Amino acid sequence: MKLIRFLLFASLFVLGTGVAGARAEDTLKIGFVGGQTGYMAQCDQPSLKGMQLAVDEINKAGGIDGKIKIELLARDSRSEVAPSAVMARELLDQGVTVMISPCDVDHSIAVVGVTAPAKVPAISSCASTPSLARIGGDYMFVNCTPDNLQGAVLGKYAAAQGYKTALILVSKDTPYTYQLPIYFSQAFEKAGGKLIGTVEYKLGQQDFAAEVTKIAQMSPAPDVIMTSAYEPDFPTFLKQLRSAGVNSPVLGSDGLDSPTIWSLGSVAEGVVFTNAGFPVPGSRLARFGDDYKAHYGEETQTVFNATGYDLIKIIEAAVKASGDKTDGQSIRDALDNLENLQIATGTITYKGMNRVPIRSVALNKVAGGKKTYVDTVTPAPADVPPAQ
Amino acid sequence: MRSPIARSISGAAAASGLALGAALLVIALLAALMSSSSGTATVTNYMIMVVAVMALAIFSGNSGILSFGHVAFMALGAQISATLTLPAMLKASLMPNLPQAIGQAQLGFAPALLITMAVVAAVAAVTGLVIRKLAAAVAPIATLGLLIIVNSLIIGADGVTRGSQAMYGVPNAVGLWIATGAAVVATIAASLYRESSAGLSLRASREDEAAASAVGINVPAQRMLGWIWSAAVAGAAGALLAHYLTVFSPKDFFFDLTFATIVMLIVGGMGSVTGALLGTSLVTVLIEILRRLENGFSIGPIAFPQVFGFTQIGLCVLILAVLYRRPEGLLGFAEIGRLFRRRERSTNGAADAGPPAANAEHEALEVSGIRKRFGGLTAVDDVSLSLRAGEILGLIGPNGSGKTTLLGCIAGNIAADEGAIRISGRDVLGEPAYAIARSGVARNFQSIRLFSNLTALENVKVAVLQIDRAAGLREAEAKALRLLAELRIETLAQRRSGDLAYGQQRRVEIARALALDPNFLLLDEPAAGMNEAETDELLSILEWLTQRRRLGLLIVDHDMSLIMRLCHRIAVLNKGQLIALGSPAEIQASPQVREAYLGRRHARILETAIQPSKD
Repeated sequence: MKLIRFLLFASLFVLGTGVAGARAEDTLKIGFVGGQTGYMAQCDQPSLKGMQLAVDEINKAGGIDGKIKIELLARDSRSEVAPSAVMARELLDQGVTVMISPCDVDHSIAVVGVTAPAKVPAISSCASTPSLARIGGDYMFVNCTPDNLQGAVLGKYAAAQGYKTALILVSKDTPYTYQLPIYFSQAFEKAGGKLIGTVEYKLGQQDFAAEVTKIAQMSPAPDVIMTSAYEPDFPTFLKQLRSAGVNSPVLGSDGLDSPTIWSLGSVAEGVVFTNAGFPVPGSRLARFGDDYKAHYGEETQTVFNATGYDLIKIIEAAVKASGDKTDGQSIRDALDNLENLQIATGTITYKGMNRVPIRSVALNKVAGGKKTYVDTVTPAPADVPPAQ
Repeated sequence: MRSPIARSISGAAAASGLALGAALLVIALLAALMSSSSGTATVTNYMIMVVAVMALAIFSGNSGILSFGHVAFMALGAQISATLTLPAMLKASLMPNLPQAIGQAQLGFAPALLITMAVVAAVAAVTGLVIRKLAAAVAPIATLGLLIIVNSLIIGADGVTRGSQAMYGVPNAVGLWIATGAAVVATIAASLYRESSAGLSLRASREDEAAASAVGINVPAQRMLGWIWSAAVAGAAGALLAHYLTVFSPKDFFFDLTFATIVMLIVGGMGSVTGALLGTSLVTVLIEILRRLENGFSIGPIAFPQVFGFTQIGLCVLILAVLYRRPEGLLGFAEIGRLFRRRERSTNGAADAGPPAANAEHEALEVSGIRKRFGGLTAVDDVSLSLRAGEILGLIGPNGSGKTTLLGCIAGNIAADEGAIRISGRDVLGEPAYAIARSGVARNFQSIRLFSNLTALENVKVAVLQIDRAAGLREAEAKALRLLAELRIETLAQRRSGDLAYGQQRRVEIARALALDPNFLLLDEPAAGMNEAETDELLSILEWLTQRRRLGLLIVDHDMSLIMRLCHRIAVLNKGQLIALGSPAEIQASPQVREAYLGRRHARILETAIQPSKD
């Protein structure tokens, strides 16, 4: 009986707290449904910290345009689809007019499925699959460096280095590890290179002997090897590749942006990878790093701090551009027309891109056990392979 | 006359199912009245989880085999149903390698659901070929393998599936009421199945596989049935989820969901449908509370900031607490239907409504030339015996002489290497234990092997149902009650058999053996551990039963006075060989028997010492 009483009490409690909050004219409510626990936490947690920093800064200065305060309402989706949709509904009920959705494609689609009918745009915190915007419809925006953009930059870079032939290592287990290398090969071939091999692996595979043997037996060896593998697969692969005597240069994507990679020692020497930005001294990103440290008392550990920060700055810019309107439709339309916006990680353009932004992409090289700066590139829209 | 379906529905199960179904409806109504969109979404998710947990309860709850594989069936359910309902245009771009016929088809949700359940059931039928044969300790690992294989196959079949990518554009066909309807149906179905002949048989196998075979239960077949049936329900849960969320990807149907469903089942009580529903409800409510606390709250002047992770930690603490306090879950094996159960009692005692005496005058159990070797040891060596109806044959011999092995050979638990075992002229050597049990040879075990978590009545009822396949649950129950009355334990019918006193358990075991309407009964130390009064009572019951039922009884016991008093003939085994067969007087007088028991020298001494007093 105790149990029944508990259940009754508990359900009343649950139902009672669902009441929507009051709406204030001079406040912009931004919702963030993210995986604060579960497998997405490694991206969505640092994103949230970046967002909070931006919100604090803006509010301290009196709000957007000195008058619109931001209220950031964050909810944990536990990295599951069904709760993502529930949280999105709850935040909508609380008057949110722009939503930041989880890092993953299906979770974001579930969220935009809830917000779009209410004409509230959803921006994925860090999903990089470019097809997300098309699938999600007019209210779905991609934010993080799209896969095809990274592929374009890497493909062009490879051709510019004089590489003629390339091999890609892919895993069908995620769209990122499968399609990004394909985007690379498309850009590479467009720039005059030739794809001469595709080798597959499984995510979390312990041993790459079979894959490495295949590569080592290729004659002539590929001029360059490109992969979107990340930890723990990438280090394992790279070590076995080098000990098999394959010395072709290796290119990777932003999954490699982790201290583990550049502390691999000589084996990682020369690995080039893309990410959202490099904190060149004096750059906006370097300044963001200082601000972050001043605010939280710790160094920023991942680029997701900066991309989260940028997301709020992008929303701020959209509100400003709409003439300080805070309704969902106005923000959506303004977002869709943002052009050459300067943000911490570089520049971003949504105008004319069907909600998949063109952003500046940084090229990094591992040298002497450190991440070093190579270049920052903003590809021309025509050079970006279409989303699959 | 009631229809066969009505006859096979248990009143208690129907009461349980209806009560739980009504509770679900009330929850849905409340959600609808609140008309908060996030509340409705939460309740809809909850209803779909109920279907998923019921699927698990049907198989794991009744078989005792924890399945990690049911989420694989959910994945297939989502995949197949979405493939059937997606618009053809979208399908062509998402899954270009689909066969033409499937690519062009665009079904409504209802037909898609039915096809999905059928296909998933077919997949279960194939995988079940492996699962049904595995020991209960190994089977969960195989189900885990199934989960991983199905996940890899869906990802690998890119083109026919979406690979690792999200499947989107699934028609939104499921809302609160369809999900609630499905949850109600699944709950009632799980309740009815649990109390049905098949469910009862599967539960008996959960308690003791060997004993289940000995009462005629075809354990692999019952497991297969539960597996297929539960897989179809899991497939439905997957289809519902896909058509509610409208988007999903293979990773959504993997370890996290497996963990979530298993937690819900275990917290409430794996052995009970009510428990499964309670667990699902409790976990859902707890998540809803914790995730609100996560957002920050204040108690008086103290304000707590927003801290994520409460929900997961809270859930883990709940699981640990429940498993520490109640290892079998909150409800264990109890069902809500018990509360409504009429206190029905058979009014007729054993005397007036006795069973028909078996027409067994011409029946005989013949054992000829049985031989069984274990490695180099010949445990049973060329033994031939015969047992007639109405006869009590004692089987004695020193420890290790092969008595229990011989019993096992006859009952089919142990495969004899050579020889023949004829039941009324038919050779049954090599048939499985359950088949021999159904041909009229019942047995008990040296140590008591009741289905402990089943009531005394259920223990007997499940055996009745094996032999009398056409009987309805009520008829079976009436017959089981009569048998309990015959053994004078009808007042204990509703007690959990594991809670009974030793002597009472022995009687339940005998009643269970008699439920098979056997012509022959093999009793392995039926009086072991009984005090003198209990033994005397047992003896009179056995004597009375053989006279009344004309059973042939084969009794193994070390209690010489019991054997001498009870048996018409006695067979003596030593080192696997039959060394003597005759009346109690003949056996007592046999020098070989004494030698076997005491060794040659002592036998001589004893012979001279007791010979005079014998006369």
